[in-house]
Amino acid sequence: MNGVHDMGGMQGLGDLHYEREEPMFHARWEGRVHALWHAVGAHGKWRGIRTKMELIPAADYLRMSYYERWLTALTERIVESGLATRDEIETGRAEPIAPRATPALSAAAAREAPLRPPRTELAVQIPARFLPGQPVRARNRHPTTHTRLPRYTRGRVGVVERDRGVFALPDTRVYFLDPKPQHVYLVRFTARELWGDEAPARDAVYVDLWEDYLELA
Amino acid sequence: MTPDFNAQDRDHDHQAVPSDPALRAKALESLLVEKGLVDPAALDVLVDTFENKVGPRNGARVVARAWIDTAYKQRLLEDGTAAMAELGFTGEQGEKLTVVENTPTVHNMIVCTLCSCYPWPLLGLPPTWYKSNAYRSRTVVDPRGVLRELGLAVADDIEVRVWDSTAESRYLVLPERPVGTESLTENELAELVTRDAMIGVARVRASGDPA
Repeated sequence: MNGVHDMGGMQGLGDLHYEREEPMFHARWEGRVHALWHAVGAHGKWRGIRTKMELIPAADYLRMSYYERWLTALTERIVESGLATRDEIETGRAEPIAPRATPALSAAAAREAPLRPPRTELAVQIPARFLPGQPVRARNRHPTTHTRLPRYTRGRVGVVERDRGVFALPDTRVYFLDPKPQHVYLVRFTARELWGDEAPARDAVYVDLWEDYLELA
Repeated sequence: MTPDFNAQDRDHDHQAVPSDPALRAKALESLLVEKGLVDPAALDVLVDTFENKVGPRNGARVVARAWIDTAYKQRLLEDGTAAMAELGFTGEQGEKLTVVENTPTVHNMIVCTLCSCYPWPLLGLPPTWYKSNAYRSRTVVDPRGVLRELGLAVADDIEVRVWDSTAESRYLVLPERPVGTESLTENELAELVTRDAMIGVARVRASGDPA
């Protein structure tokens, strides 16, 4: 969706807020929220948290801190998946009749989980539509649902640098729909193609794009 | 009686801007623990992992090894994930690592315009500025301006390459080895390598160099 999260190329969104010695978490709750996302996510009720963060209304999204977005999206995910009701979250008390669940992530498993590399690349043989060196155009599409086709690339022509292999398409995968396995390509766009003649002549932006996002240029 | 729209607005604002996130997070955690959905000990372990087990010291070791071992550097540039695993670094957000090399003619920098993607096993969780709306929005359109603001001037004849981590790949910048470090050991070299240099917003300086 054309949400405010898709912010590549926007200007006027405030300061960088660079900090010289930054702690991993600025407050205890930030670490707890990050950990909760892992621990609750282990119940397998959803795929990723981003789609929910993207649905936070733009004005709220811009105002919230990073982990406030996580907390908001996580809460919505928990309600939507039925792990807890909104009533329970608002009152902070479990309904007495609710059966007690078993944690999906034990402390022992938590030690290993983040250090275990998940496998996202799919081991399936699918012919690639594009080859390195070919010019391709990012499609001019505006889905109202999740996509990884950044707005600033749409309609622009780049050159395929590399074939990344076969991956599920996030646009459908995150909703548990047909994962549409397909090649992902590293595409190089010149800064001038993206931003016009005043951009530095040598500079470039590299983006990985799914085959469905591209057409031959 | 006319409906009090202002009251509704206030009510709506109250919904959209909930109370202190620290309190909400705490209440959510207690609820999930009470319902048996989450083991608090697992949360302690996860926080410890992200505070102490992953972080830029891991990435610095990879960089230092690449500086002293050209065969390793070759493997690192060809398959970042396999090469970091050689040094014992694996994990979430590192499953498809691409290492991009800074040279006298090319400067690389990393961003995630859509969210906050970042190579956790080598750099830990991203700093706030990397996740800021300003960095995410400006880096693709004005990388040189962002670099200048962060204190790094890049000459006009150097190509700036921005890597937008919007898909499955995560990136690490292999910075240039500073001159005058020929006699340093691998561990000493690793000490010089900063997180910012591996994101591509700083250069690595030889020890004692003024910043």
